[in-house]
Amino acid sequence: MPSLDEPPNRVITVLGLLALVLVWVLDLGTVQPNRIVPGTGYGLFAAAGWLGAVTVSAGLCVLMALAVLPLRRRYTLLGILLTLALAALPDLLVIFTSAHLPKDSPYARTAVGAGFWSLLFLLVLMLIEVVGRLRIGRRGQLGILVVILAGWALLIRQGGLDSLSLMREFSNRPDQFLQALWAHLALALGAVAISFVLAFALVLKMMRSEAWRRPVFGVVSFLQTIPSLALFGLLIAPLSALTAAFPLLQSLGIRGIGWAPALLALIAYSLLPMVRNTFVALTEVPEAVIDAGRGMGMTERQLFLQARLPLAIPVIIEGVRITAIQAMGLTAVAALIGAGGFGTFIFQGLGQAAMDLVMLGALPTIGLAIAADVVLSTLANALQPRPAAALPQ
Amino acid sequence: MRIWRTPVLWLAVLLALTLGMDGLEPLFRLIQPDTQSVIYQRETFLFLLGNHVLLVLISATIGTFAAVAGGIFATRPSGRDFLPLVSQIASIGQTFPPVAVLALAVPVLGFGEGPTLVALVLYGLLPVLRNTLAGLDGIDPAVTEAARGMGMSARQVLFQVEIPLAGRVILAGIRTSVTINIATAAIGSTIGARTLGDPVIAGLVNGNTAYVLQGALLIGLLALMTDSLFEALEKLWARRLAPTVSPA
Repeated sequence: MPSLDEPPNRVITVLGLLALVLVWVLDLGTVQPNRIVPGTGYGLFAAAGWLGAVTVSAGLCVLMALAVLPLRRRYTLLGILLTLALAALPDLLVIFTSAHLPKDSPYARTAVGAGFWSLLFLLVLMLIEVVGRLRIGRRGQLGILVVILAGWALLIRQGGLDSLSLMREFSNRPDQFLQALWAHLALALGAVAISFVLAFALVLKMMRSEAWRRPVFGVVSFLQTIPSLALFGLLIAPLSALTAAFPLLQSLGIRGIGWAPALLALIAYSLLPMVRNTFVALTEVPEAVIDAGRGMGMTERQLFLQARLPLAIPVIIEGVRITAIQAMGLTAVAALIGAGGFGTFIFQGLGQAAMDLVMLGALPTIGLAIAADVVLSTLANALQPRPAAALPQ
Repeated sequence: MRIWRTPVLWLAVLLALTLGMDGLEPLFRLIQPDTQSVIYQRETFLFLLGNHVLLVLISATIGTFAAVAGGIFATRPSGRDFLPLVSQIASIGQTFPPVAVLALAVPVLGFGEGPTLVALVLYGLLPVLRNTLAGLDGIDPAVTEAARGMGMSARQVLFQVEIPLAGRVILAGIRTSVTINIATAAIGSTIGARTLGDPVIAGLVNGNTAYVLQGALLIGLLALMTDSLFEALEKLWARRLAPTVSPA
């Protein structure tokens, strides 16, 4: 029997129950007397008081209720509620900090606990589920993201999170942070750009002569198989030898360690996804399209520029997306050979057992990878040729 | 037998270098003439190789079982509700760089082999999960329908039809996962796991290129050996198992 109500959603219910348990069992936050000493943890009730505890628990119960009650617009309601909850989530930390940070000790700091991270993670999962059910398009997804990030930015602006250890680590070194950001972006995007040009040239060659295909694919997949740390390490000795032999290279800043081996290794890694996608995209254009173009009297050059390339662009951008995500992560590893970037904070933090410094490196690295994903998949989506527009019926 | 030739060859080179690194001392002396020690001595290479392989093996086993179980659950009628979310997690999760996952394991779990193992399991699970979903979901419904029509139970359909058909795709996922985990375990040296990354990190810290080279060579060989092993397994799967389950 058809019903106007949407069927109840078990996924949200399960995630909500899990969130309710974890947020009560785990520590919401910790207070540390200084940077290195481990802190004391506070559970939900101790950290946020009864008002905070009730708000969080009641909020989760409302979400679960919305997921199972017979409702016609459950997903719209859930989507709005989840977006607002995520935007306001850092308020919990503000309440926690203002209640528990000792006023008289300047080195005291608060850290985000596992309970808060679990809550954040599970709410994001619920939102992903709702966005999927509502079939919200790219623009809607970006809109939700903007609302949530605006909520967080507002709180950070107001200074409510200043005593958070992560913010402390940042405000101790804002210049270094910016420098790391630029180094990270320059290295990763530079490698993506160079490998894009290289891959395109290789693919053009492979399209013209069959003999190039196997060896090129063989070499680029071989390169991708070598683990990052090994490839970075293997490049040090030859580059040192090279610069020792040619002092001119040294004056250009090329040395055994630093950005030069990092860039080379990153390019080597980027070649496989780039070559594979570009090759598949350009060679697997439907024969009918090419025949039709030829029938219209197009030259080979016109066929390439006006038929093959536009059809291939979304798949090529998909290759760029995979490559860019991968390069953002590998650039962090490149900090081990002195290439700079956010990996510097990660490995410095690990060396000093300063966990907040580790986070200050790891979280932006993840952020950059996700940003690369969002930007490039939006671009691929926008450049998808629309059959309806091309063939008016 | 011929398909095993490449992996066995790589294995021989790997073991020869692991056990006979001391024999190459004059060579490394050329690269690093000004230091006392040119061969990494803190642990034996054999121990580091063993520990590295063990970490990857344990994480791959746990990760594969968890991912295949999750994939099966999400494609059964009782778990269908979870399919969109699970496949989203599998693809979004892979956006997270392995080194960041490794780094974030430390504040939660501390230093050492344990947190490395947890990060490897979590990260290694994703490619297997994605491929399991793709493999099981990509089976033509007519095939499972026919199997059910022959009187097979849901369990028999799963183990005798679906898993064998999806097996190659799942195996490819395990290959990706293991390749990533060999690389990530090497970086695990920075959080206190004793792996083949140790000589590389020690060499970088002390400016000893010979150490770096020894670690890097062994890691590279391990990765190549494993990759060729999986290639052989995939060929074996294609040759022996595929024809018996899908007679055309």
